[in-house]
Amino acid sequence: MGFLREVELGVSFAPFSAFREHFGFVPSLFRCQSLLPRLVEAETALLASTLFKDRSLSRLQKERLLLVLAAANRNVYCGTAHYQMLCLLGEPEEQLDQLVSDYRHADLPAADVALLQFALKLNADGPTISRKDVTEVNSHGWTDGAVQEVVLICAWAKFSSCLSTGVGASPDFEAVPLPAAVPFDPPAGFESDADREGPYIGAPDLKADTFEPFAFLRERFGFIPNVLRAQSLRPDVIEAEVEAIRVLLLTDDHLTPLQKERILLVVSAANRNTYFVAVHSEILRTLGISPDDADKIAVEHRQAGLGAADTALLDFTLKLVQEPLEFGSEDFVPLRRHGFTDEQILEALVITSFANFLNTLQFGVGAKADFPPRHVFAPVSTKVANLSVAEPRLTEGSVTSDPDAEAVARVQGGEVDAFEDLINRHSRRVYRTLVGILGNPEEACDAMQDTFLKAFQHLGSFQGRSKFSTWLVSIASNTGLQLLRERKRVQSLDDDVDTDGGFRPQQIRAWSDDPEQSYSKTEVRSLVEDHVMKLPAKYRVVVMLRDIEQLSIEETAAALGLGIPALKSRHLRGRMMLREALTPHFAATATGGAA
Amino acid sequence: MINCADFMAEIGNYLEGDVAAEVRAQIESHLAHCQTCQIVYDSARKTVKVLTDCGSFDLPEAASKPIAANVMARIRAQGRNS
Repeated sequence: MGFLREVELGVSFAPFSAFREHFGFVPSLFRCQSLLPRLVEAETALLASTLFKDRSLSRLQKERLLLVLAAANRNVYCGTAHYQMLCLLGEPEEQLDQLVSDYRHADLPAADVALLQFALKLNADGPTISRKDVTEVNSHGWTDGAVQEVVLICAWAKFSSCLSTGVGASPDFEAVPLPAAVPFDPPAGFESDADREGPYIGAPDLKADTFEPFAFLRERFGFIPNVLRAQSLRPDVIEAEVEAIRVLLLTDDHLTPLQKERILLVVSAANRNTYFVAVHSEILRTLGISPDDADKIAVEHRQAGLGAADTALLDFTLKLVQEPLEFGSEDFVPLRRHGFTDEQILEALVITSFANFLNTLQFGVGAKADFPPRHVFAPVSTKVANLSVAEPRLTEGSVTSDPDAEAVARVQGGEVDAFEDLINRHSRRVYRTLVGILGNPEEACDAMQDTFLKAFQHLGSFQGRSKFSTWLVSIASNTGLQLLRERKRVQSLDDDVDTDGGFRPQQIRAWSDDPEQSYSKTEVRSLVEDHVMKLPAKYRVVVMLRDIEQLSIEETAAALGLGIPALKSRHLRGRMMLREALTPHFAATATGGAA
Repeated sequence: MINCADFMAEIGNYLEGDVAAEVRAQIESHLAHCQTCQIVYDSARKTVKVLTDCGSFDLPEAASKPIAANVMARIRAQGRNS
């Protein structure tokens, strides 16, 4: 069961019987949407044209892309689905595990790696994509048709990741745990003078007079969006997209057109998509919202004078887009309090996911503006708010001075002994990372050896774009997670059941002025150790790295492959759980103390 | 004026010293008259202090030395074999 009410659709519902026929079951992503079957129909048509037709890319190549993207997005539902599909296509499990943990060591042909890197960049940082990235993919022999398919796959990955989180779909198979994002230097970063004037791929002219979907758009909107024209290599895909637009956006059963357009606008702004912010501002204008008011909604909807219910709806939407790993049943409470029905909430979820789909498409194909832009969102290297909270790249920005740089250079130059210095400097940090994840000191010691051996093996490819210590902690974190999955296939840092959304302080007892005074240092240490060990792994590792090892927020986020908002929220939760646990020991009236 | 729920929404940033001056002033005026939030904040602050001061999960040299030696031995052995 997901977050929303479900109804029985009967055996005759075509998309479900097609799923049963092809897969033997109906994926929970779609079952969770049974309240609005028309949405399921539009989505499955989109899926069919994206995934099931072999053109430039094979199904195997597409599923590999989807698996790596699901891992990058830390989406267990999608990761499990594509892992299972690849098993059915005959990929050996070791290969899949390697893809999930680090595709660079999965022995893929260089051309396939180039596709994956393009996909990961588009997934993590759409606004930075430029013609140069597409040219790079072309240089590996990929046609424009292949580029278009990768873009579509990325857009679908965004859509399904967002929607599966939103509806609370539970994995259709035994959940495949996903490691923290792999440590790797991001492919070609952002360049301010890059050519972003699209379209990046060839697009034969399709005429509205002869191509029905374009005729429909011209009639409904008065224009044919360039993002669709740019895809004219694949009229079948455009047909499915226009059908989705018609069903999701132009059929008003539950949410009003105004509510839908506001969602599309704030999601596009959160994704920093200049093109779509202009499109939705324009459509809002036709619905009677002035461009200035639309700007207010795009920039800060809470200050835009909307009513409490509409504000809550946009809060909900943004939480899903910006902090998917923290999204949960508690986020539905305010909407239900404001009287939104499950049907309306489902529409909001699908529209939010569809906005991610369209934004990603536009970044990837580089469609030219249809309207003068309202806000130009320049690509930025340190992202404030966008799609990706779990990108496989380090977000520290440029590293000016790394105290380990010299030792690293010596090892890279062949001086193997210098590696011992690096081990000695960082063994405690690596140990804490591993205890944080594994919750067991002996196992952590064993995993330390693996971590350092891996680091040594891969040091050749370390280019110093992040600090060595951050890179090392991320290897430790991946090593720990891999052990977790071997130990227990269903555990990952995301599988711990959240007890509830907000934390409500239970213990309201003042602590003594100097709480540590009544205990010996050893006693405090072991008290803390006992209670930290009792935390769920995802909070434990964050408290361990942030408070005990005292890494910066940015370093911890990069090492664990988490976004800053997700990291902060786990960190606070961990701290507050410890506050509860330690209060009986440190309260002013506590009777503890040295024996 | 902010209420207890607003304060709890900001406590994470406040503990990190990462709130705008205006918000800080609002939080402080709330804390000045709300004893419950004051207690929660004070104990949370002390929790952080205990965590950062405790030096827990230290790895004694006796444990780290053999690990380093083992890793280096394997690296050197690999070097000889390749």
